Amino acid sequence: MTQYLDKAPDAGRRSRKAADPSAVKVVEVLIVGAGFAGLGSAIQLRKAGITDIAIVERGTEVGGTWRDNQYPGAACDIPSNLYSFSFAQNPGWTRGYSGSREILAYIKGLARDHDLLPLIRFQHNVEALHFDGGEGVWTVTLTGREPIKARSVVMAQGPLSNAGFPNMRGIETFQGKKIHSARWDHSYDFAGKRVAVIGTGASAVQIIPELVKVADKVKVFQRTPGWVLPRFDFQSPEWTKALFAKLPVSQTAVREAMYWIHESMALGMIWNTPMTKALEILGNRFREAQVKDAWLRRQLTPDFKIGCKRVLMTNDYYPALQKPNCELISWPIANISEKGIRSVEGLEHQVDCIVFATGFEVSKNGTPFPVHGLGGRDLNAEWSGGAQAYKSVQVSGYPNLYFTFGPNSGPGHNSALVYMESQIDYIVRSIGRLAAGKLKYIDVRADAQKTYNVDIQKRLAKTNWNSGCKSWYLSADGFNSTMFPGFATQFAKQMATFRERDYRLV
Amino acid sequence: MQLDTAKMLAKIKNTQWALADIDWDAPGAELVTGDPELYAKLKVFMADLMWIEHVGARAFAAMAKKAPDDTLAEIYRYFHAEEQRHANVEMALMKRWGMLEGDADNPILPEPNINLRLVIDWLDTYSDEMPLEVLGSVIPSLEIALDGALCKFLLDTVKDPVCHAAFEKINEDEARHLGIGFHVLEVMGHGKLHQLLVKAAGNLLNPKLIIGIAAYLPLLNRMRDNLVKLGLKEERLYEAMNKYKRIGGRTEQGRRNPWFQIISHQSAMVVDRKSLYHVPVDALVRLTDYYPRRLLKATPTWVKGLTWKTAA
Repeated sequence: MTQYLDKAPDAGRRSRKAADPSAVKVVEVLIVGAGFAGLGSAIQLRKAGITDIAIVERGTEVGGTWRDNQYPGAACDIPSNLYSFSFAQNPGWTRGYSGSREILAYIKGLARDHDLLPLIRFQHNVEALHFDGGEGVWTVTLTGREPIKARSVVMAQGPLSNAGFPNMRGIETFQGKKIHSARWDHSYDFAGKRVAVIGTGASAVQIIPELVKVADKVKVFQRTPGWVLPRFDFQSPEWTKALFAKLPVSQTAVREAMYWIHESMALGMIWNTPMTKALEILGNRFREAQVKDAWLRRQLTPDFKIGCKRVLMTNDYYPALQKPNCELISWPIANISEKGIRSVEGLEHQVDCIVFATGFEVSKNGTPFPVHGLGGRDLNAEWSGGAQAYKSVQVSGYPNLYFTFGPNSGPGHNSALVYMESQIDYIVRSIGRLAAGKLKYIDVRADAQKTYNVDIQKRLAKTNWNSGCKSWYLSADGFNSTMFPGFATQFAKQMATFRERDYRLV
Repeated sequence: MQLDTAKMLAKIKNTQWALADIDWDAPGAELVTGDPELYAKLKVFMADLMWIEHVGARAFAAMAKKAPDDTLAEIYRYFHAEEQRHANVEMALMKRWGMLEGDADNPILPEPNINLRLVIDWLDTYSDEMPLEVLGSVIPSLEIALDGALCKFLLDTVKDPVCHAAFEKINEDEARHLGIGFHVLEVMGHGKLHQLLVKAAGNLLNPKLIIGIAAYLPLLNRMRDNLVKLGLKEERLYEAMNKYKRIGGRTEQGRRNPWFQIISHQSAMVVDRKSLYHVPVDALVRLTDYYPRRLLKATPTWVKGLTWKTAA
């Protein structure tokens, strides 16, 4: 096994200069990102009595992915009562599935109500992290600013935070307007415009029905059709809002019920069971009910098991595709040209604007910025064959560093925030142990991490995600470092125990 | 020889072209429109050719669902679109030569003959259920007939340079289609011979396939008759079918594919005027003329996807 020195030999001139402990104060916990995970971590750390916290945020306001994803129709596909923190319930949700604006308002409310804004340093973009084992301190290098030193770092930058235009042939030649779903340009007026939408995933199925209402023509370019299930959305009646406000336990009960309904979905979504077939039958019936034309229905029929990719929950996507001003194009795209998109059947689809609903750059094989742990080891290099962590939150050789939505913590059937809360609780406990023991650092043992990952990959091999379809859950060579192969309850159970014997306490 | 399908897919992606790459207003149309005899012959020929390409396209769509791996599935998705492109090009040529009925800016698709309609009906209803062995063996024989006989005949007959420019591109695509077609034909010959035979026999007893064969055989005979009427030498078809037999049978695996053997024999009979094969099949051709049109399904919407336009 490789032995690593405590002292980082090559942390760079900037870091060495900043390593003088008398010159720079060491923050107890530094959190990267002021989205759900970052703010939730800060709230729970404070509750545990850890108050020396700094949050660095590259944007100018809180909200993370919900601040960035403000495209028309943006909404969560998990009910709001479940897509919120259990320790900060909101009785006022206006819909069963709230839109992104309302979710963003909830996040802003979290920051305001828990007095987190003084902790946040906006427009602080992290460039790199270096750990000094001698001091047990992380040096956080920032773009154009002095570095910050911290005892512990929580990486809460989110897996879906980096969006960019895809590398498509000829994309640079297009003379019209280009918009990415995660960087919406609200100043662009779609009225009377010919619009192409590339992609038919979770964002696209929300954008398309809205664009069809205003644009002159919408052409939807589909590569792989996904499974679509009905979404039981509704406007929250006033009486439930009043009840939840007066009697929070009633909202907790509703949340619990939703949690268990979603948990039961794991049986069909994660593993191939008779319930998988039942969900597929539901999806097929829904398509047959909503799509009248047999050829269009064929074009929209997925050729992979339900659950293998993200299931799309929408009632208005199929009807939107059948509007007279909308057209589904399932021909492969040959290239993007000056005037539009050329597809392989030989036509140039001329448009004024292309909307790229092509997803995010998910870090499956690396970190969003360089992270150097004990002895200068490089996490990017170590993860080049697929990211691995211990219980998704910590990586051996990178002490006092914590991940939210780290490797193998993604849910396919339940609220991401349920998983996030378990991770946050674990992180708080670990940081609390560090402080209580006056330790320099806590580092997970390599053998414990290895044992954990052998088990995870063995369990993943039996899931629908690894059943043969291509998805953002898998790396190019098919390694699954994103999803947790089990129920949310199992995930919570594993996070509820902190086994000291799996760590080196220094 | 095994073909590297990943490299082939990359090549396919790198060699895409569009209708807009052809100058449809370039001079030379008069070489067709100025010859009334050629014009009349060509009008029928082009419509048939366009429909054959379009029907072939639908078969590739079915094969994409059956492909054993993602790369081949993606290749078939491209081929589906490319065949549609070829049909679009042929429609654009017809438009250039004033062969389309209706308004000049909004021309009407030529009507497919009854045998084409029956094949379209069958493809629309059953092709997605057919095993890859069947479609994967039939398609190369159709492609080779198209490439080796029909397109050559067209280029020998028509002097319009735009037609030549368009078919140069089409032929490059077709060469790749044939490469993959024969590769799959060979792959389908892997395995134990008795298992291959039992599987083929089982498929032959499938009533859905029997209906398909009953629709396909008279189409071939009708097309052959139409083509011969237009002046295509029967030897050309014979050469093309021989090519199928020669290339498909160049390896042991290819020869072991029972569907290759069935199609080789059937093709030999199609081009042999004296074969008894033609007695029942020609009877079927005549019978289909009386097929009640009301029994035909509504024209599927994929049929309406053809266009002569370069941009939409």
